[in-house]
Amino acid sequence: MKKQRIALLGAALATAVALAACGSAGGGAATAGASADPNAVVQVGSLYEPQNLDNTAGGGQGITEAFNGNVYEGLFRLTDDGKVEPLLAAAHTVSPDGLVYTFTLRDGVTFHSGKQLTSADVKYSIEKVLAPDSKSARKSSFPEIKQIATPDPKTVTITLATRSISFVYNLSYVWIVNDQAGNLQAKEDGTGPYKLDSWKRGSSLSLTKSPSYWGTPATNGGVVFHYFTDGSALDNALLTNAVDVVTSEQNPDALAQFTDNPAYKVNDGKSTTKLLLAFNDRVAPFNDVKVRKAVSAAIDDKKLLQSIWGDHGTLIGSMVPPSDPWHTDLTGVNAYNVDEARKLLADAGHAGGFSFTLDTPNYDPHPTVAAFVKSELAKVGITVNINVITPDQWYTKVYQNKDFTATLQEHVNDRDVVWYGDPSFYWGYDNPQVTDWIKQAEQASSEADQTELLKKADRQIAEDAASDWLYLYPQIVVASTKLSGYPVNGLNSQFFAYGISKG
Amino acid sequence: MRRRAFLVTGIVLVAVVLAVALLSLFWTPFPAADTTGGRLEGPGAHHLLGTDKLGRDLLTRLMIGARIAVAVGAGAVALGALLGGAAGLLAAFANRWLDDSLAALLDILIAFPTLLLAMLVVAARGASLASAIVAIGLAMSAIVARLTRVLAKRVLAMDYVTAARTSGVSWPRIVWAHVLPNIWPTLAVNLALQFGLAVLAEASLSYLGLGPPPPNASWGRLLQEAQSTVLTAPVGAIAPGVLLVVLVVGVNLLADGLRDVADPTRRRHR
Repeated sequence: MKKQRIALLGAALATAVALAACGSAGGGAATAGASADPNAVVQVGSLYEPQNLDNTAGGGQGITEAFNGNVYEGLFRLTDDGKVEPLLAAAHTVSPDGLVYTFTLRDGVTFHSGKQLTSADVKYSIEKVLAPDSKSARKSSFPEIKQIATPDPKTVTITLATRSISFVYNLSYVWIVNDQAGNLQAKEDGTGPYKLDSWKRGSSLSLTKSPSYWGTPATNGGVVFHYFTDGSALDNALLTNAVDVVTSEQNPDALAQFTDNPAYKVNDGKSTTKLLLAFNDRVAPFNDVKVRKAVSAAIDDKKLLQSIWGDHGTLIGSMVPPSDPWHTDLTGVNAYNVDEARKLLADAGHAGGFSFTLDTPNYDPHPTVAAFVKSELAKVGITVNINVITPDQWYTKVYQNKDFTATLQEHVNDRDVVWYGDPSFYWGYDNPQVTDWIKQAEQASSEADQTELLKKADRQIAEDAASDWLYLYPQIVVASTKLSGYPVNGLNSQFFAYGISKG
Repeated sequence: MRRRAFLVTGIVLVAVVLAVALLSLFWTPFPAADTTGGRLEGPGAHHLLGTDKLGRDLLTRLMIGARIAVAVGAGAVALGALLGGAAGLLAAFANRWLDDSLAALLDILIAFPTLLLAMLVVAARGASLASAIVAIGLAMSAIVARLTRVLAKRVLAMDYVTAARTSGVSWPRIVWAHVLPNIWPTLAVNLALQFGLAVLAEASLSYLGLGPPPPNASWGRLLQEAQSTVLTAPVGAIAPGVLLVVLVVGVNLLADGLRDVADPTRRRHR
């Protein structure tokens, strides 16, 4: 069935982040060089076609994958190891109270239309993300902005209402667009190393080198993204050389045909996509922490991960993936222990078990995972009624109306543990201490303070079993050995193509 | 007697699936929710047909799938026969205006793809075994109604029915004594064919994730789950497919054979 993913909060599936630009490029980097053809066009296979070409208009993860860093650039760029580095901002300063940010723009940057980049474009681009009709994934992550001033064409001054240590990080998601460009849903005007050549809806999107690029030009002649709705068809395209690389392999059982073949390389990268059994912490029986802990302890996550992903993927004990700066290994908290689960249930007054309905999205792997959860919980006397729903129904019933008892969902973003600080979020986790820590973390004056506070919050949600974090998805990029310099890690759907060489 | 061979083959194939479905109510090799097997084990002494991703016994799941297939086939046919039969008879007895309206409505319903209609019902009622039966039964009732209407009208035009009517026999009595006995053989053959189509429709719905929810092991769902592992564990995809073919071919042969038994004129022509 068609692979479909809920882009939580409009955000996209973490697919891949590259790093050719900072020299830590992934797969097969050693083969780059003499044999590479600078005019070769890289054929990329993906399951995620953009809805439109504008990431503030619900373009989805597909447009992030194709355009982020390739066609559009931000003031900052998120690198492979999750760090933020300047891109269109040559320098920036922050006032001592942490409220006023002053950015100096890089010289000599032009849009693909030929216009010079000015501070007015930056102001327009940020306002576009924050506009009432914006569907940007990061809109709600931004702090309240009091004012955006443009004292001269090279300087932007932003005044915040409250301190926000993630502000610069969040700016890495803001594409700087030409303020004269108008509607960008079917065209583009960015500053990146590639410009849009053509977009054939339902089929492909091709990018060619931008001759006027301000930075290091791409190491290939262009990129074509080919869109597939079926993973097997995509694998076959790779086998028949119709594509050179698959950005995110979703079927571990298809990997055998590539691992045994010297013409391909399978890369296991870092992912930020977490599979959650999310309880509705507001309603019985899951408003009782003992019941949540019991359910967490009754499910053998290791066996589940092995069942779904074979030898790939990672176990996690909370919402923070290893690539976030505040990761701690919490897999030992509420670890698999059926006896403990039974004891907790008895303590909670459910010695005879209970039953609940699990709202299950109808696409892989959720129905299979639901069946596994049902079978595990049956062992401690809990009856699970599986209710299969569509992604649209999930969005309305679970996410908006919060009309559920428990659900399965994948959460794709990095640094998203902060949602546990919002009691109005769909899972309804409400611990004032955690809310306070997360708020303080955002207003912290140093990253060390932020990290420490988020670590505390992370441990607390794990101990409260706010949700059951089943596993972290693997991030598997499969590529022809003719390619080098392609991104292998999964971070917010990015797929930087400019460093890829094709021999 | 080639035709007789077809009938017997049909009966045997259907009987095998029915027996498996019945057996699954009392005994399966493993409990349905047992996940103690390894991931995608091949066929062996312990798990005769191997296991799925979660380590569940494939044979057990196929047996439960047979139960679902038979339940959906029988349920949908019963519903289609009741609703469609009633609507068809009503149209046949109704005045011209009502008959024309019903006929037009049936034509529209038949033109509407069964699977799409079923998906609408599932969307409205939620995915469950009952939804699948209702959805497929509803779609089927239009086909049964049209056939019933045509067959009944033909009988109603007979002189002996006119005679019965003029002598004051009530219409329920006419249906019971004259119409049903005459249309039943053709209708039964058609319902047998519809049984096969219902099984396929349920498999399609389940394949799309709109059938009975997991862990119900519908054959369509088994096929869908096995699709991604067809290279590493082919039995998982082949076995439900083979069973689907066995059941559907079985009912078709059975229907074919029934037609010959029910309609001796056909046999004479051959």
